[in-house]
Amino acid sequence: MPPTVGIPRGLLYHYYGDIWSAFFRRLGAIPAVSPETTRAVIEAGNCIDEVCLPVKAFFGHARALADKVDLLFLPRVVSVAAGHYSCPKIIGLPDIMRAAFPGGPPLIAPTVDLRTGRGSLLRAITGVGGTLGRSPLYSLYAWQRAWRECRRPYTAAVGAADLPRVALVGHPYILRDRQISMDVTGKLAAMGVDVLTADRVDPRAADQAAAALPKNIFWHYCRRLAGAALAFLGASPPPAGMIFLTSFACGPDSLVGEQLRRQAGHRGVPFLLLALDEHTAEAGLVTRLEAFTDMLPRRRP
Amino acid sequence: MIVTFPHMGTLHIVLKALLTALGVRAAPPPPVSKTTLEIGARYSPETACLPFKTTLGNFIQALGAGADTILTCGGEGPCRLGYYATVQRDILRDLGYKFAMIVIEPDIASVWQALRRLTPGGLRPVWPAFRLAGAKLRALDAIEQTACRARPRAAVTAAVDAARLSALAAVDAAATPAAAAGAAAALLRRLETLPVGDGPEPLRVGLVGEIYVMLECGVNGDLVRRLGQMGVEVHPTMLLGDYVGAHILRDRAALRRSAAVVAAAAPFLGHYVGGHGIKSVGHTAAMGQTGFDGIIHVFPFTCMPEVIAKNILPGVSEKAGIPVLSLAFDEQTGEAGTVTRLEAFVDLLRYRSRKGFLQASKNPAKNCECDQYHCWPSCPRI
Ligand code: SF4
Repeated sequence: MPPTVGIPRGLLYHYYGDIWSAFFRRLGAIPAVSPETTRAVIEAGNCIDEVCLPVKAFFGHARALADKVDLLFLPRVVSVAAGHYSCPKIIGLPDIMRAAFPGGPPLIAPTVDLRTGRGSLLRAITGVGGTLGRSPLYSLYAWQRAWRECRRPYTAAVGAADLPRVALVGHPYILRDRQISMDVTGKLAAMGVDVLTADRVDPRAADQAAAALPKNIFWHYCRRLAGAALAFLGASPPPAGMIFLTSFACGPDSLVGEQLRRQAGHRGVPFLLLALDEHTAEAGLVTRLEAFTDMLPRRRP
Repeated sequence: MIVTFPHMGTLHIVLKALLTALGVRAAPPPPVSKTTLEIGARYSPETACLPFKTTLGNFIQALGAGADTILTCGGEGPCRLGYYATVQRDILRDLGYKFAMIVIEPDIASVWQALRRLTPGGLRPVWPAFRLAGAKLRALDAIEQTACRARPRAAVTAAVDAARLSALAAVDAAATPAAAAGAAAALLRRLETLPVGDGPEPLRVGLVGEIYVMLECGVNGDLVRRLGQMGVEVHPTMLLGDYVGAHILRDRAALRRSAAVVAAAAPFLGHYVGGHGIKSVGHTAAMGQTGFDGIIHVFPFTCMPEVIAKNILPGVSEKAGIPVLSLAFDEQTGEAGTVTRLEAFVDLLRYRSRKGFLQASKNPAKNCECDQYHCWPSCPRI
């Protein structure tokens, strides 16, 4: 009977989840991804103190998987590029998991730290393969195939031209999670705006835009997000408005959001910061979104 | 050029000496107060952490008082500190202030560059300036340690505080390294003559957490002094010198101490998470084995590394058999609330110590790790 490996649907799952699943399948394990976030999931993760909503949700997912799987996949992603870091909470995930849920299944918690080269990724891959009884060579091959299978090339998408365009900026684990984001994306679309998200920006353009900042944003995923936002702001014409969707207690966003607010201000783009937590009321959120979209010009010259 | 810099405990005495000796006019901000916090919080992003807001308040107050250059630190993640300066500069500019900002990144090249900007007259005064600043730094650390030890034993704590303040003033005024060291030694002599109280044997409590909140009594509700009044000998795990030693000079002893703490943390927290998170865990684990009665863990509300530590510490506390109190501070933290929690914690520790929870390990001669816990001068091994 092949072992099941639980993959919590939260945080970096929203970047790499498909690759992880494909990788485990190729290694001969059964990947088990937790279902979409619900209120109950967030409740279950609430035993972690003073953290942001996405981290709470993540632990809710991990807990939901705990008794159903043989192993739990909780990588420690320290850095995925030279000079870049993940958010500290993402770095500490396996330790918090061990501390908060001592009775859980064994963790597969490889460390990935690419600040000084790709070696650590290779070690992580062969390590994970080894845990599942695979040879290093086979593991690398499996990863390579998984990576190929899941890589999605960037294609510029075009939106409806006559709708006001609003750039929606936020971490994918907030935006793509309908419970956490309270489906802001869908709500905006229903209000008749063309929602621009980071995947509508050429990654290279985003990278260039981020490099133009006075100081390198050293949180990798924030840098991406800021780069996309700046690319939007630098386009001509810029979007009619920008919404920064974040979570209360998000450390990196608290400073990066402030930078973006100023950049948007300098270019005359209306800016709305929405900070979410588990107590955010849906009605209030809708009111704020409506007030924001109502003041956007319907049609730009 | 009138240079200002952020406050952190008594760091201003060191920086003032350094800048003055380099031939630059130094203008430290007024001491951190309620007003500093209010001003800082008003212009900061709401969810920025406390040191960001406080130091922004420092800058606004100092620029208002005539400073035209800000000297501050940078950093390369993953904690937010490294990005403070960039955002603060933008906020201050948008507020209409005209100033230059010198950001020292933690590498030699950047320190060098900053030096060039601060010494337009040439590099001749650099060496004596650093020698004087270094001596003051060591003197200040010694003064804090001495005061921490004396407070819970003195018949009148206020006498210790008064002696400490005059020693600080003497260090501030010292023109030579010898005079600075002398001020620290004089304090020690003075404290030896103070009458001793008849209270119970002081409790030994380790102070762990984020360095800014630990050192800046303007934001921590004057925690160290209050604990001293309650009969607690506080052992701060971070002194100014550690910060400078480990982060800027990277000296051997400081690095070795860091490595030992990281090793102690390993079973609970296996990786650096920015800031001092891993040290909070490591010190707690180690102090549990070294005859301490309890641990107080302080940090700014939403501080990412310390929030991780906070979630891990209950397990460490259980394993190491040492009670831990975690306190988060923001601009709304009231002093009354902090004092109540401290008192309750100290009561708990007293109760435990009366019950003899610690008998086995409360033998400093056997367990003391001198260079680790600053237990000088009580340590019998010195
Ligand atoms: S980047 Fe922000 S939202 Fe994401 S885990 Fe870190 S603190 Fe939470």
